[in-house]
Amino acid sequence: MLKPKLISQVLQQATTGGVKATILLNPEGSLLAFAAQSDRDARVYGAIASNIWTIYSKHNKPEVGPLSFLMLECEEGKVAISIVSTMILCLVAQDNVELGILKAKSEALTRHLEEPLSRVAGY
Amino acid sequence: MAEELVVHFEKLLTRVDGLLSAVVTDRDGVVLLRANAPNTSPPFTESALGCTFALASDQASKLGLRKNKSIVSIYGVYQLVQFNHASLITTFVANSNANTGLLLELGAELESVTQVIATALHERQSGAL
Repeated sequence: MLKPKLISQVLQQATTGGVKATILLNPEGSLLAFAAQSDRDARVYGAIASNIWTIYSKHNKPEVGPLSFLMLECEEGKVAISIVSTMILCLVAQDNVELGILKAKSEALTRHLEEPLSRVAGY
Repeated sequence: MAEELVVHFEKLLTRVDGLLSAVVTDRDGVVLLRANAPNTSPPFTESALGCTFALASDQASKLGLRKNKSIVSIYGVYQLVQFNHASLITTFVANSNANTGLLLELGAELESVTQVIATALHERQSGAL
């Protein structure tokens, strides 16, 4: 089974260089693990990220393909949301972090977590 | 002037490889301006794209990062790059392998154009009242 403390440590590795929070959640918005300044921030980011993912998932059609990545740019920060197995991975960063590095970190975490999370996806 | 804007948008479609469509809508999804690349019809309902963005952008503005400026969504075959320009929404539909950075820069360039449309709409509404 999964070791939640280890997942948090893996997520912690992305919270450098202006990345404020790294959150793993289920599609309903419940947190699985996070690395953030406070758990309240993590819950707020997670709930809104899953909501936005669900909104854009409505455009999933065979001719369009599945939603694989979302990037949000706000006045004071940037957010990258992607899918890992059946979970949602969300990275929140300060405004001075470039979208490319945020995307690269998200992809690196996805590659690392895909296989272990796929093993528990059926439960 | 509307025709000039459409021509301007159609020229933009040739600047980025894989850019298929550019649409300006209001927050209710009403299409103000549309330009499609020749022989393409992306499988998105344009008014639905505007409504999707309006909903998502309002949510994103509650993250504590102040106002949402743009959202990029990447699907298997297509990508959407959408911008919040005053009261209007600019949407680019492109192939998923198109250069997202270029599309983001294009949106920033277009902000002054959509600002003109938004101001004209606002003046028209104020006059009507």
